[in-house]
Amino acid sequence: MPVRVAENSAPSQVSGTNSGNTSPPACTLLSVGQAFSGTQNVSSLQKEEAWRVNVRIQGCDLEHGYLCGTMEALNVPMADTPVVTFWEGEIVDTKNYTFYTGKWEASSEDDKRHWTKFPSFSPLLNQVEVDGGKSLDLSNYPYIFMRWFYQWLLLRS
Amino acid sequence: MPSATVNNHRPSELLSRLASSEPEVKLRALREVKNQIIGNRTKKLSFLKLGAVPAVAGILADSADDVIDCNNNNCNVNNNINNILVQSAAALGSFACGFDAGVQAVLDAGAFPNLLRLLSNSNEKVVDAGARALRMIYQSKLAPKYDFLQQKNMEFLISLLNSENENVSGLGASIITNSCETSLEQKALFDAGILRRLNSLLECGSLSQKDASLESLASIFKNNSEVVSKFAGPEIERPLGSIIDLLKDRYPRTRLLACMCLIVIRSTSPNLLQDIGIKSKLIHILIELLDDPGQVGDEAPFAFSSLIAQKEDLQKLALEANAIDKLHHHLQKGSLHPRRYEGILLALADMCSKLESCRSKFLSLQVLNLVTDALTVDSADVRTAACICLKSVTRSIKNLSAGYFINEMVVVPLVQLFLDPSTSVQVAALGAISNVVVDFTTHKCIFVQCGGMKQLVQLATSMESAVRSNALWALKNFVFLADNRLKESVFSELTASLLSSLICDPEPSVQEQALALVRNLVDGCINSVEFMFAEDGLILGAIGRQLQSTVKAEIGIQGMYALCNVASGNEFHKEAVMHQLFPQMVDKNQSFMINFLQSNDSQLRTATVWTIVNLTCRSSPGAFGRLVKLRNAGIVSQIKNMVNDPCVDVKLRVRTVLGQSMAFGDN
Repeated sequence: MPVRVAENSAPSQVSGTNSGNTSPPACTLLSVGQAFSGTQNVSSLQKEEAWRVNVRIQGCDLEHGYLCGTMEALNVPMADTPVVTFWEGEIVDTKNYTFYTGKWEASSEDDKRHWTKFPSFSPLLNQVEVDGGKSLDLSNYPYIFMRWFYQWLLLRS
Repeated sequence: MPSATVNNHRPSELLSRLASSEPEVKLRALREVKNQIIGNRTKKLSFLKLGAVPAVAGILADSADDVIDCNNNNCNVNNNINNILVQSAAALGSFACGFDAGVQAVLDAGAFPNLLRLLSNSNEKVVDAGARALRMIYQSKLAPKYDFLQQKNMEFLISLLNSENENVSGLGASIITNSCETSLEQKALFDAGILRRLNSLLECGSLSQKDASLESLASIFKNNSEVVSKFAGPEIERPLGSIIDLLKDRYPRTRLLACMCLIVIRSTSPNLLQDIGIKSKLIHILIELLDDPGQVGDEAPFAFSSLIAQKEDLQKLALEANAIDKLHHHLQKGSLHPRRYEGILLALADMCSKLESCRSKFLSLQVLNLVTDALTVDSADVRTAACICLKSVTRSIKNLSAGYFINEMVVVPLVQLFLDPSTSVQVAALGAISNVVVDFTTHKCIFVQCGGMKQLVQLATSMESAVRSNALWALKNFVFLADNRLKESVFSELTASLLSSLICDPEPSVQEQALALVRNLVDGCINSVEFMFAEDGLILGAIGRQLQSTVKAEIGIQGMYALCNVASGNEFHKEAVMHQLFPQMVDKNQSFMINFLQSNDSQLRTATVWTIVNLTCRSSPGAFGRLVKLRNAGIVSQIKNMVNDPCVDVKLRVRTVLGQSMAFGDN
């Protein structure tokens, strides 16, 4: 399937300008209205479960390293209809947020363990171990790292 | 003295007594006029209509001449003349005080030069009266512009500022505040040593002199970083110390003016006054001045806005200082003076313009109800301010996502303002609605139900270009991610012919919004692309024409993305796009595509490359044919030159195109 590029005009919102030299660059794929499909792996020791998910980005504020959107999980057991949730995210831009979560009792070990699952993270690991990646220059890196957090359930009428 | 009867107080009666040849009668009449008009706008207007100002100005002129002619030492005569000069000047001053029609009448009556002459009179009271009257005139925009660049004028100004008389030195300061505009004038005033004199008035002057100096300093500093740096230079022991000290003055007006002066300095020279101490002080003082019941309290929120506007660090500090709570508290009071009402709403708008934390605070305090109430008041300025406040607050994506704003309480009064007699209210309401309709729930229909959508289409045909472009902006946001049913209803209301004529509107801002609206209409499910082909492809043709002729990047970007979305469709759609990008040209002009790819604007380059990605994606049967056409038009070699584009987004899309073209064995 070709990449259906559905570029939308963003609503009245702070536009993502390149603030400072080391933050990830603006990217058309990471903008309001963009949609992605994938899987959320919720496997644990007791069960193997993976939900098919569709994600839609609703807000993207690069200057503050913030984004938000909805996630629709399609095959959640016990749910008759897709489960839609609203999430907010932090963009690792070395300015607003680093690779270390710094809250919710997440240790730097936890963070490194999770990030290391991405091959694109390996070149950065050394610097991250030194200072959380604060001094990294991500302005030319072809990957953008984010943490997304569930906020609330959306009830669709 | 016989007491005057009621009849003698009628304006027409007074006017006839003004014309009396007897000095005593004239003098009493002058006093009476002055007493009646002081602080009374209605009386000023009625006397004005009867021609009182030329009459009084005439008396002033005659008496001023009498002073010159009078060589005798007759005390009584001199006294009478002086009294008449004082009272006629006072009356003229009162006419001019806070009343532009009065100022105009005084100037038209030719009184200005005669008032100036009074300043060199030997009698202190006469000088004083003249100076006061001139100060009233100089509070108005209608005052004659003072030419600082003429040596004579500068010397006169210096003499005024150096005077011991408060009103005279105050006049000097008022002239500066009123007339100092250009950087040339500011420099001339600096070079003449005016700032030193004003600074000493700050330190040692009376209340009125301090206030007047603060205002003139602000006008000399405004936007002139050179003058500011000389005044507050590193070699000066306590730069700006005299102004900062006045932040603690016991008079509220002085504190306000000191804040305003420092705010002007901060915005002119961003490296000054940056420590958190002074920032916090300014915030706290201005918040506290909101409590002043008078004019100071009316103006304080405007000064607060000028301090925090566009400045996140200050907005954060103000949030911590409970600014939103305080503004809310004042809003709750009700029966606000319109100026104060407007100021508070604009201050809230600035507080919520950038930070989600501020918007959360605003919403948690339930200020929204109070702001929507302000949408229906008499004052157009207040209605505008309420709309601007709503626009700021509705930037909260997370609340838009929760469907918080798309309800009748917010939508209905805003839609009513679409028909407001004031254009600025209309435009501000459109701005707020533009955000509200970016609803991610399924409640956009509320906007249709209350007639909002149809009204937007109407407004897109307004004579005012600002109304047209803002209406289109709102429509653009309304159809963003909307379902097909909604898009169809918008499209059938708009029609292809109106939309294509808006794409070719004389105003670039309208063109841009029209193109962005089309972009959003054709996004989404594949059927939406069909809008482009309605009425024999009117819209598609309009876009193609616009892209060929435009020089503005913003228009190129929206147009390209609209075509890009069409190019994500089927073969027919892709070919239709090719036809617009490469029309049959008579001469071998470079395709606008090459220009776009070579643009300095990375967003335009990105949009163009994305379109090529969609046109050449491998799974489409006609991709190879299109690639050949692109190669022949020089596009492929241009793309190859962009493998190291400074913009990562462009670089990655270029790689995709080249990857797709290599799949066909293209080198």
